[in-house]
This record gives sequence, C-alpha cells and structure tokens, in this order.
Amino acid sequence: MFSYRVAGLSVASEIELPGALVVAEPEAPDARVRRAATPDSVEGATTEGPNWSLAGDRFLLRIPDVARFLIIGGVEILVDPAPGVDIADVAIFVAGTALGILLHQRGRIVMHASGVRVGKKAVLFCGPSGAGKSTLAAALTQRGYPVVTDDFCVVAADGAPIVHPDGRQLKLWARSIDELALAEQRAGAVRARLEKFYVEPPASRPEPMPLGAIYGLREARPGLTDGIERPNVVDAAKLLRRNAYRPLLVHRLGQKSDYFLAAAKMANAAGIFWLTRPLDFAFLPGGLDALEAHWREIGLLG
Amino acid sequence: MSRTFWLASYPKSGNTWFRMLLNALALKDGESFDINALRRRDGIASGRAPFDHLTLVESGLLTFEEADRLRPAFYRAQAHENWDEDEDDDSLSGVRFVKVHDAYTRLPDGEPLLGGREAAEGAIVIVRDPRDLAASVANHNGVSIDRAIGQIGNAKAALASGTKQQDLQLRHSLLDWSSHVASWLDQPDLPVHWMRYEDMRRDPVRHFAEALAFAGLTLPEAELARAVATADFDALRSQEAEKGFVEAAGKTNPRPFFRRGRAGGWRDELSAEQVARIEAKHADMMRRLGYEPVGGNEAGESS
Repeated sequence: MFSYRVAGLSVASEIELPGALVVAEPEAPDARVRRAATPDSVEGATTEGPNWSLAGDRFLLRIPDVARFLIIGGVEILVDPAPGVDIADVAIFVAGTALGILLHQRGRIVMHASGVRVGKKAVLFCGPSGAGKSTLAAALTQRGYPVVTDDFCVVAADGAPIVHPDGRQLKLWARSIDELALAEQRAGAVRARLEKFYVEPPASRPEPMPLGAIYGLREARPGLTDGIERPNVVDAAKLLRRNAYRPLLVHRLGQKSDYFLAAAKMANAAGIFWLTRPLDFAFLPGGLDALEAHWREIGLLG
Repeated sequence: MSRTFWLASYPKSGNTWFRMLLNALALKDGESFDINALRRRDGIASGRAPFDHLTLVESGLLTFEEADRLRPAFYRAQAHENWDEDEDDDSLSGVRFVKVHDAYTRLPDGEPLLGGREAAEGAIVIVRDPRDLAASVANHNGVSIDRAIGQIGNAKAALASGTKQQDLQLRHSLLDWSSHVASWLDQPDLPVHWMRYEDMRRDPVRHFAEALAFAGLTLPEAELARAVATADFDALRSQEAEKGFVEAAGKTNPRPFFRRGRAGGWRDELSAEQVARIEAKHADMMRRLGYEPVGGNEAGESS
C-alpha cells in the first residue's frame, strides 16, 4: 500500500502514483485507490458525457484501450486497466483525472493550475492543458521559487484562501526540458509511449499555504497584447470557473455559485489576474521579469 | 439545438475564407468586421480544448491512437452540447459550421473518426486546383514548392503530429490530396455539397448561397453580397498586413496567411516540371473536379 497527500487529502493507494507526495500511512485515509473490475456502464445515470456517466455518487470514466475508473462518493477510486495495459501506464490518470473528479465530488474548489511559492504564499498559474503552466513553474524554480503544485490544487476558501497542492514533481514535455536545460532533473516518462517526463524541481514546497495570487494564462495574439491585467469581478469568476480542474463538472454538478463565491473571496484576499504573453521560449525571461515586477507591485515580494 | 455541418477541405483551399464570409454574414448592427474575432463555434474539429473539456481526459496524456478511439463519441456528444456555457450561441440561424482538415477516415473497427451521421448532418467540401495549392502550402509552411508538392502527394501526411511537445490540435491525417478529396466525396455516411475554390472566387455570392442552401439556410441576396464585400480578399489581406492574423503560421515572424488568393497563379509560380509532377500524381482527381491537366511532354523538355 502506498500513502500520499494529494490536494489536502490523505490517499491510500494500491497503485504507485509517481510525482505525488509520499507520507506516512494514515490511520483513516480520506480516499482509497484500489485495482478492481468495474462495470462497463452504471445504472440510472443522471448526467453523461461521451465517455463517462454519473449515477448518484458513482462516476464511471472510460478511456478505451487504457482503463476504466469508477469513482465513488468522493472516497474511493476503482481502477480497471484494459487487457494488456501495464498499471504503471494508467497511474497518471489516477493521480490526475480520477482524483480530480473525486475532489469535484467532494465539492471542493479544484483549480487546473501550477504554482510556485513567492514569499510565504502560493502563486497559481491556471490554464487548459498546453497553456504552459508547468513550463512557467519550471522556469520560476530556476529563479529560486520553489514549486508548490504542478497540475491541480484545491483552494479552501472558508476563511483566508489556502492552497492544497497536488504533489512535488513537475511534468514536462521533451521540448521544455531541452529549452530549460533540465535534462539532469528528468525522471521517468509519464506514460511509456509519451515524451513527457516527471522532472524533479530544484526546490519544492508541497504544503498547504495561503494563496498569494492567481494568474489565468493566455497566449498573446493579434488583438490581445501581452501584459498583466485585473479583470472585473464577473470576469474573475468566469476565469476561475473556466479554469476549474474540470469545468464541465462544475456545471453538471451545479457548483457554479460555489465557484462564484470562492472567486469573490480570492479576488479580495489575493488577486486574480490575466497574464497574457507569447507562447514562445524566447519571451520567457522577459515574462518572468514582468511577473517579479508585478509581485513587488502587489506586495508579494519585498 | 443547433445542427452541425462540416466545412471540410485540404488545408489552404479556401476554408478560412468561407469562415470569414460566415462571420461577415453574422455581424450584428454596429459590429465591425475583424479577421481576428472569428466566433469560437467556428473552431476546428481537431482542437484539443473542446475534446479535453467534454471527455474530462487530457488528450495530451493519450497517444494519437488512443485519442482517435475517443473522437467519434466526442463529436457525437459535441453535436448536442454547447461546450462552453459562457459563450453565446454563435451558430448561424441554428447551424454550426465546423472546420475540419482531417481526411474522412475510419478507425480499425470501421467506425468513422468524425462520428458519422449522428455528429453532423452533412459536409460542405471545398476543393482547389492542386497546382495552386502547392504554391499556397509552400508559403504557409515556409517550405519550397518542391517540398509542398511532396506533402500533397504524401499518403501519410498529417498535421499536429509532433511528439516532443503538445500541439494545440490533435493529430489529423490528411492523406495525399487526391485521397483526401476522395475520402470526403466518396464516404457513404453524409450528404456532400462540394465546391471549387475557383468558382467561389469567380462568383462568390452564387456559390456561397448554394453552399448555405445545402445547409438549409436561405438568405436574401443583398445580405450575401454585403458579406462578400465585407470579407473581400483585399480586405482580409489589408487587415492582416495592419494587425496580423491569429491563424498565420510562423510565430515570431508570421508569414502572410492571405497571400494572393488567385486562381491560376500556378502558371507563373510553378515550373513546367513541377506542374507535370503534380499532374502525374493527381490527374484522375483533377479531371473529376474539372481541373484539366495541361499534361504532356513539354514538362520533361523544360526541366
């Protein structure tokens, strides 16, 4: 049995989850991951997608030729690899999508974000897959900011917003590893047939900490110039909801108002911004300078 | 609920111009035409973001083949779902036109990659003379015309097929140009309306109207004429020269996307030998579409 802490939950798993934060075995874990046969469909589905069904507290996710996942009541994940598939090749979907769905089931505010520690607070970078979240976090670690989270995190906004990170390693494509000269930190492949790898950051602080700022990442393009701007509260709420780990679930599980309230608190306590920049390695150093200047401006850096 | 039609073509065949016309048509009073503000629902079928959104799975963690396995169900679901609830309904009178450069292919189990009849009601297929295509592809990709001829003749050609980083789009197979066109014209799942880019250039109002009528949309000719004037090729080109274009290739040094837009430009851009090579490979499909090969021996003599 493996024990991890992921986004504020203690997780007992039969399957090794590379990249996750290993902790001592808890007496009563919040969630369990087991390898078990799952049904092909669930009875009485109330909401469905192309490859998933939700029936009450049972959420069935199908990835053909890879695995099926049954996520139950925010406490359990059953993993059923397709015939001939190595369990190690499925682990990334447990550590990401399945745990993310479980957190959505628990009604948490789950952000699709990477993050680094600036001063004593977490700065998050949100965006869909491919927006450059991990690359930006990796580049910032090279300027001395420890990694807080890579792919998602929970933000608890009951009082002052607190970030609960997903793990301690970054996941980067071969191109980013080359561009950032991180070959020596490279660990195993995220999946056997992909050129995306776990990368050991020079420093990481995968512990709960106050939220400092959230940046939504956008690519600069004609009509959208680079820079940092603060959206109004309605757009900030939209930014937050669109960058939920799985925005469709926020919608289908009726959690929009939760995200709206959380956005208001986060905008108040920390600040929600758009960060627009060219998606090009050549612009990275200048972009980091601009971010550091912004952190001084908003008081995160002395 | 809106109805979906594919707007299918080999790249650089006039697909974007058609989408510009649709957007010009959809302009509301007081809105000005902006080539960089194409409506989201006119996005491309191979875009990753909508796939990730609806399947809850990051396509970047799937191999190309694994992603393809999910694509038919994804397109069927997408036809029934506004994938971004914050966006207005951007369909044109209830019709979504979705750009697609994929050839019409099937998975190993025979299922159509694009989801068949449940994912779309029909396909508007735009074709272009492959001799003009070669020059346009060369400019777009920043390669020689010879290389472009190689690409349009390559049965395994695919876009977004890199493996060192995550492309914004899913890999999409083009096949070679003749096979691409044949895959759409000859598939048995969907009704097809095909049109030549050259005819669109010659008489845009008429051919635009015919394509829209195929999708069940009948619009007053004055409205169509206004859209055609608004998204006129010179207007597209001058907007791009002034502000750049989102979809131009070459990030830091973009190459013009709207270049000449001419029909028959190949006569002064291609050598006789290059023309002969294209015709040798694609003559059958060219004849089928009404592009007469100049053929013959002069090619060999001049090379």
